[in-house]
Amino acid sequence: MPSTLVSAADPPPAAAAPPAPLLRVEELRVHFHTRDGVVRAVDGVDYAVAPGETLGIVGESGSGKTVSSLATLGLVPPPARTAGGRILFEGEDLLRAPPRRMASIRGRRIAMIFQNPATSLNPILSVGAQLGEILTWHEKASRRDAEARVAELLRLVGITDAAARLRQYPHELSGGMKQRVGIARALLCNPALVLADEPTTALDVTIQAQILDLLADLQSRFGMAMVLVTHDMGVVARMAGRITVMYAGRVCETADARTIFAAPRHPYTRALLESMPRVDRAYAKGARAPLPTIPGRPPNLLNPPSGCRFHDRCPEAVAECRRVLPLETEIAPGHTVSCIRHGSAGIPA
Amino acid sequence: MGTARYILRRLIFSAFLVVGVSVILFSMINAIGNPVEILLAERPGMTEEVIEAVSQYYGLHGTVVDRYFAWAWAVLRFDFGTSIIYNQPVSEMLVLYGMETLKIQLPAILIALMLAVTISTVAATRQYSRVDFGVISGAMLGHSLPGFFVGIILILVFSYWLGILPSYGAYSTRNPLMGSPALDALWHMVLPVGMLVFFNTATLTLLMRASLVEVLRQDFITAARASGLPERRVVFGHALRNAFIPVLTYLGILFGLMLGTAPVTETVFTWPGLGALYIMAIQQLDYPLIMGETMVITFMLVGATLLTDIAYVLIDPRIRLG
Amino acid sequence: MDTQVAPSPAAVPEALPTRPVRPPGLWRQGWYRFRRNKGGMLGLALVTMVVVVALLCPFIAPYAPNDQDAMLRGASRAAPSLQHLLGTDRNGYDVLSRVLYGAPTALAVGLGAMLIASVVGVLVGGIAGYAGGLVDEALMRFTEFFMVIPVFVVILAVVRLFGIVVVGTALEDVPNLNLMTIIVLLGLFEWPPIARMARAEFLRLKNAEFVEAATCIGVTRRGIILRHILPNALPSLIVLVALGIGGAILAETMVSFLGFGDPKAVSWGQLLYFNYEALKVAPWASLAPGGAIFLTVLGFNLLADGLTDAFNPRLRG
Repeated sequence: MPSTLVSAADPPPAAAAPPAPLLRVEELRVHFHTRDGVVRAVDGVDYAVAPGETLGIVGESGSGKTVSSLATLGLVPPPARTAGGRILFEGEDLLRAPPRRMASIRGRRIAMIFQNPATSLNPILSVGAQLGEILTWHEKASRRDAEARVAELLRLVGITDAAARLRQYPHELSGGMKQRVGIARALLCNPALVLADEPTTALDVTIQAQILDLLADLQSRFGMAMVLVTHDMGVVARMAGRITVMYAGRVCETADARTIFAAPRHPYTRALLESMPRVDRAYAKGARAPLPTIPGRPPNLLNPPSGCRFHDRCPEAVAECRRVLPLETEIAPGHTVSCIRHGSAGIPA
Repeated sequence: MGTARYILRRLIFSAFLVVGVSVILFSMINAIGNPVEILLAERPGMTEEVIEAVSQYYGLHGTVVDRYFAWAWAVLRFDFGTSIIYNQPVSEMLVLYGMETLKIQLPAILIALMLAVTISTVAATRQYSRVDFGVISGAMLGHSLPGFFVGIILILVFSYWLGILPSYGAYSTRNPLMGSPALDALWHMVLPVGMLVFFNTATLTLLMRASLVEVLRQDFITAARASGLPERRVVFGHALRNAFIPVLTYLGILFGLMLGTAPVTETVFTWPGLGALYIMAIQQLDYPLIMGETMVITFMLVGATLLTDIAYVLIDPRIRLG
Repeated sequence: MDTQVAPSPAAVPEALPTRPVRPPGLWRQGWYRFRRNKGGMLGLALVTMVVVVALLCPFIAPYAPNDQDAMLRGASRAAPSLQHLLGTDRNGYDVLSRVLYGAPTALAVGLGAMLIASVVGVLVGGIAGYAGGLVDEALMRFTEFFMVIPVFVVILAVVRLFGIVVVGTALEDVPNLNLMTIIVLLGLFEWPPIARMARAEFLRLKNAEFVEAATCIGVTRRGIILRHILPNALPSLIVLVALGIGGAILAETMVSFLGFGDPKAVSWGQLLYFNYEALKVAPWASLAPGGAIFLTVLGFNLLADGLTDAFNPRLRG
């Protein structure tokens, strides 16, 4: 299935073993203890990000992609609890770090960009005050220094008239501008890693492209690594060097972007790609050539399907899929898949 | 810019409200007939001449409209006439008794506010815990208990059974506590203030906690934490400030509620405040006193509402310019 | 080899039902959620208890409310005993019986006042919300006006003055006129919060898509208001009504406690008024009605709280 959707920034296909990862998530499990039972939002997830690289995490709503990002910063709200695994950042396990240490890492070494710009800024504080506070806290900057730096960053993210914006309140800014402020906030202390949770989902399509360009530009300038969580294949195509596909709290497939688009192995990845409308194909009503969709509905995470989580919607499923939980297996350098029909090992469910 | 105009509009509307109330009040009283006749008719030994003289004294001739303007003009100069029963200028009485009422109401609201903020912060940051559940239950109970019933119980326990606090009055008629009139006054204030604090704290806690819980769920709180700010900073600097806004608007209503139920509060404790005065005025049909008090109370309520409106506009930037 | 399996049976219902199954409607869903709220259920239990007592009080009260035998026996102000479970009061009445007979009065006050308040409130608020513009402005100013008036204070004045006016007229002989006056007055002052809520709901629903759709298929304006907007506004309004009932009962209690109530009516407030003087010697005569008021108001408040939860579910741990 040839694909012309390839990122300009992807590494050469036959990459050698990737450099020592900046962030490595191992066997992460995050469970929500609700009144109706335990929701296994993230149930054994592995991925890694190298310094300066962009990892795109793709999945439907409920796949666990956002929760795993929040878990990295220790921000998963109760009734959720991390139930296992490690999150190694520069060799240190964040899940076991004391609160003081986490506070010093958040915003300074690892920063986050939120999905909804309208709600991720404090409505009763001015832009300058909110962002300045972070600088004052992390770097003990004086108010004047903090203000100068915030203005500098606002200009960097493309906000005109930065000095005036400092005194403005979030509701006075447009959606796109608010998201730029969000990006500026993330970059204040020059972090090594930025977690972007659906940064363009809440924006107009025309603004989306601008914001993505901005992110790519900033990344090439400052060299930070980025984890870009999204449900939009088009976004990862443009931005990601490597892609991890998640479904129902588990990882289906991880590979560099080119491979994912050109030669995906996991049936879910293929189904996702197939269900994207393409300009170069003709779709028609009826049974002739309809837009392909994935049958069935996303699983109930209170009671997920046994074995492979995708088996009840998978066109390639066999009886064994119900009985075996596939493990992520490397089928080629830098390419892992969890599907027993494509080379994965498995354990009894 | 928009703020100034908004405040001006509220001011004008408030003035209009006060005038409106005065008109209605005046019409009501006059609708039941010549007030003097009614008042004096119930007293023995009234003759035509006396009624005539009193009517002259109170300027009760002329049309209703004339009388209204005469009265309104006097009110604007803070002259409410003279009390029929007490034979004192009403304005003096209002100030005296008003002080007593405010003496217990203002501290009560302040203390209640401080307690509520503390308790609700503790509860909201420990949502779903036993502490939270306890706070909600306690606040709900306190809010549903009739305020004056609490007062009755307080009197029973502390005054009758334990005997450590006085059960009535604002001052001891003889032997002030430990020889100090100031201390004595405070001693008398404990129970009434305590009763008001009880109800106010419960209501404010319920409100504040709900608001805080709601705010803590917001994205910008997670974002603040994600920026590395310590939890204390996040809760006090970001969450509380936002959560306080709906509570602030309620403060005006609360003050109105307290003032409105002052008659009951002051009857329970035999406290010489505006409420108790009002009851006496109504029962004795002391017409100038009734009018004067109603106007003053209305004025205070309108003032409180106006202040909360203004504060709200000043605190929440979203309203300022829109 | 591996057999190809169609999309799992889990995705396809086992046997297609012969009739389409209707999902539970708004009310049934609300009820299910309400059941899980312990506070709300407790409130419901309390309120039901009060209603039952109100309906059955002639049958379950040990004495008639005006039975003064105890006083004639010299047993007034007696402490609780087997004969008088809650003691007797200043006039020798059995406290328990009077408390029980106070229930229907309380309910009459609460329901009566809220009925008036609801009708006025929904009318004012609904028209304001639906019509908008100047009408809205004017009606809302009017509502604000009522909210600023010192309600309680005014009620006292009106009750007193009305009492004077009525003397010597035919109205004087109407039984419980005083009580009815109080109920009407309470209703006339409890409507602003309902009007505000009604207005907010009408504003919100007026622009809802399903209303647009209904208009498109030709539903009349009246049909839209009565069959589409109003039912959807009901949940929030019901909560306010529940709260208001508690508030009205409390207000009547206070009015009576100050001596402005209806001396011929058996109400908890009246009980307090009669027996407050004897607080030191016969506390039970004041504590009992106070407790009854507390339980009733608590019941309505919990009920309102449970209803709010039921209709606005949130993720609970």
